Amino acid sequence: MKKDIDLLKKRNRKRRDLMERAGSTGLALSGFIGLMFLSVLVWQIAVPTFIEGETGQIEPASEFIPVSEYVLKWDHPTVDDDGALIGDPVVLELTWDDGGTERTHSIAVTVTSERNLREDIVINASGVSTEAVEVGKKTKFYIQSSLEVPVDIHQASGPVPAADETGSPTVSSFVISADVSVVVDDGRFVSHPLTMVAWLMLVFVVALLSFPMPAVLSAMEALLNRQAAVRYTLYGLAAGTLALAGFTLEAWLGAGCWTMSAVGINRTLQGMERLKSQGRDVTQFDRLKHSITNREGVLMWSRMLLVFSTLFIPLLIDVPFLTERYQDIFQPYASGIRSAFFGTIWVMGIAMVVSMPVSIGAAIYLEEYAAPTKTTKLIQALVTNLAGVPSIVFGMFGLAIFVKQGGIGLGLGPSILAAGLTMGVMAMPIIVLASQEALRSVPTSLRESAYGVGCTQWQVTRDHVLPSAMPGIMTGSILAMSRIMGEAAPLVVVGAAALVLFDPEPLAGLLGGNKGFTVIPIQIYFWTSEPEHAWHSMAAAASITLILLLAAMNSVAIVLRQHFRKRLNS
Amino acid sequence: MSEEIGGEVVPDSTRELNIDGELDIMIEDLDLWYGTKQALYGVSLPIARNSVTALIGPSGCGKSTLLRTINRMNDLIPICKYEGTITKGDVVITDKGADLVELRKSIGMVFQRPNPFPKSIYDNVGYGVRLHHQPTRDELDAIVEKSLKRAAIWNEVADRLHDLGTSLSGGQQQRLCIARTIAIEPDVILMDEPCSALDPIATAAIEELILELKKDFTVVIVTHSMSQAARVSDYTGFMYLGRMVEFNKTEKIFSEPDQELTQRYITGRFG
Repeated sequence: MKKDIDLLKKRNRKRRDLMERAGSTGLALSGFIGLMFLSVLVWQIAVPTFIEGETGQIEPASEFIPVSEYVLKWDHPTVDDDGALIGDPVVLELTWDDGGTERTHSIAVTVTSERNLREDIVINASGVSTEAVEVGKKTKFYIQSSLEVPVDIHQASGPVPAADETGSPTVSSFVISADVSVVVDDGRFVSHPLTMVAWLMLVFVVALLSFPMPAVLSAMEALLNRQAAVRYTLYGLAAGTLALAGFTLEAWLGAGCWTMSAVGINRTLQGMERLKSQGRDVTQFDRLKHSITNREGVLMWSRMLLVFSTLFIPLLIDVPFLTERYQDIFQPYASGIRSAFFGTIWVMGIAMVVSMPVSIGAAIYLEEYAAPTKTTKLIQALVTNLAGVPSIVFGMFGLAIFVKQGGIGLGLGPSILAAGLTMGVMAMPIIVLASQEALRSVPTSLRESAYGVGCTQWQVTRDHVLPSAMPGIMTGSILAMSRIMGEAAPLVVVGAAALVLFDPEPLAGLLGGNKGFTVIPIQIYFWTSEPEHAWHSMAAAASITLILLLAAMNSVAIVLRQHFRKRLNS
Repeated sequence: MSEEIGGEVVPDSTRELNIDGELDIMIEDLDLWYGTKQALYGVSLPIARNSVTALIGPSGCGKSTLLRTINRMNDLIPICKYEGTITKGDVVITDKGADLVELRKSIGMVFQRPNPFPKSIYDNVGYGVRLHHQPTRDELDAIVEKSLKRAAIWNEVADRLHDLGTSLSGGQQQRLCIARTIAIEPDVILMDEPCSALDPIATAAIEELILELKKDFTVVIVTHSMSQAARVSDYTGFMYLGRMVEFNKTEKIFSEPDQELTQRYITGRFG
């Protein structure tokens, strides 16, 4: 007998197949279009800047420097690394006609081992600005004249080849693709050797914990009786790195690498010892890995530290565009985003330090502690709405609270601190919402099992709920940070500058000092509004930098999420 | 003395509560509400020391609720309110000012679904001990090993102590949860359908374990399996619609129950 349901089934199947085909084709098509679009975009930006390089003519004499400028480049430094003079200093003699009388001025130029000095010489009607100048090894050196007559430059003494006396130098290729130092730069290490070795040590430890070879393990067997010695050597090296490389970020990261290595190696040795006491083969990693206390955790922290220090211990590459060059208003191709890069890092850092603890705390309070009263519901609604407030409004808020003096204003001025605080406030609602979501998704069974062994509420939150919610909280926080990293609008209001020729001083708003700062999006914004084409290329380069920074941050988020997810779901 | 609900004559909670051994916990006249819905009606239950007390009854009859009241796990549910007293020796568990940490330390709990912490096997067992006492590494090693051995899982995990507890199979996870509970050496272990998510082999292992644990601990177990209750328990309470219909020695309940309702439930002729 033919069943009615069979007819239905057949019709249904046809429709289902049709929908299936339409759906997947549509998806594939839109995905394809998206990918094409992205490729074209990347091609448009990347090819001229990175692959082909760009050539350009730099025009002398802009409106306010009417006559000419000179670029002088030395191949040989005049001092060695200890600052001792090699040969004679270069002496330049400038001569020009000053309404009938000939004026002469000589300048002694010393090239030091410092890397980032810049002092340009200005010639105007009253004479030359300086008689002696120190310039860095890798930086070019400019003489700008605002006279209406030509200035002759020649080298009076000093090592040859001396100077390239061209008024209009040509730039052969784009800045990013040139001038990259690997490990050693001009006979000097890019970073302190100890920090580099620390970095390599951490690479070794990550390899050891992920897939060690039996040969390495049997070599380590010899260390089994000297665990304390190994540990204290590594701690000693950490202290040594700090002492020798100075208390810079790089040195702290180096010390971190040593300490993390000490933990990794120590845990491995303990695991080996445990296996040995059970009479098992210690060189078999399959077995050993079960015996290493919190191997996953150590591995995660090591990997994160590794990613971080790769950014800051420039072991592999040193890109002058990012870390050495300031903006040069006359020469787009010789410009860099040093001040914007460090400005971004500082603003992000301050925003993170300010917003994360407060927001995560607020989320924990709202989710775990607060009774569901009308007040908490109101607060919840406000926070949710705040996440959708346009960023420019946060800029106005920052202007009123942090920048301005008087009333409720803290009077920090248009400084890094004010910008960081503003951005932090902007990130807060996003982090609160993401963290709440993460906390809510922690299963009740986990809470119950924790209460079941006699935890207090704080212990449950600290030891079980927070670690389980961590992936969500971290992902949310990092995404919030990515969002504020790309924001320009609030900082325009807060007062980021278009041209900053020094490193930002993070605490200038409080302690006084140079308050000016800029960040990468602002720099991009100002560069794109310049009429000259070359600036647009620079803006493209800065955009790529921003995208790479975002990609790096998101990868950290992915690493974190994967780690925690593996812990929860395996 | 009895009430007719949905065509069923439901007797009030029984007052015939005789046990042979020493009394460990006494529940008296417990009424409990979730919001406005009453879930327990004047339930009383004595729990004998070093014995296994089983609670049986159809779904929704309040077995788990009763069990969760003993270590005040119900406090986690904001809308839950109760009246009545539960005493353990001199301690009044239901007292507002009762020290919940001490209470849950001495009354451990094993849940329906295995819920190990997302930590290593070692830390799962060691966590509670670390929390309440400050053991040295060696002491903790010893406690972890002993607890895992008592929970009959040591042989399976001895060489992977630092693997995640969640990476074990369901039956192993449940025994790990038991090990976690007995590591802090409670007096009483509450088990809320510990075998409902397990296969017959794992169930057999847990049942064997329960009989073993009886020597050192007082065990209260909620179960849906008549045969399990008959196999492992010394006393059985039959609950229905929030009432303790009958409580007695297990042999008595399963051979000649006083109530007709109990008779019908254990023989499967119900509803």
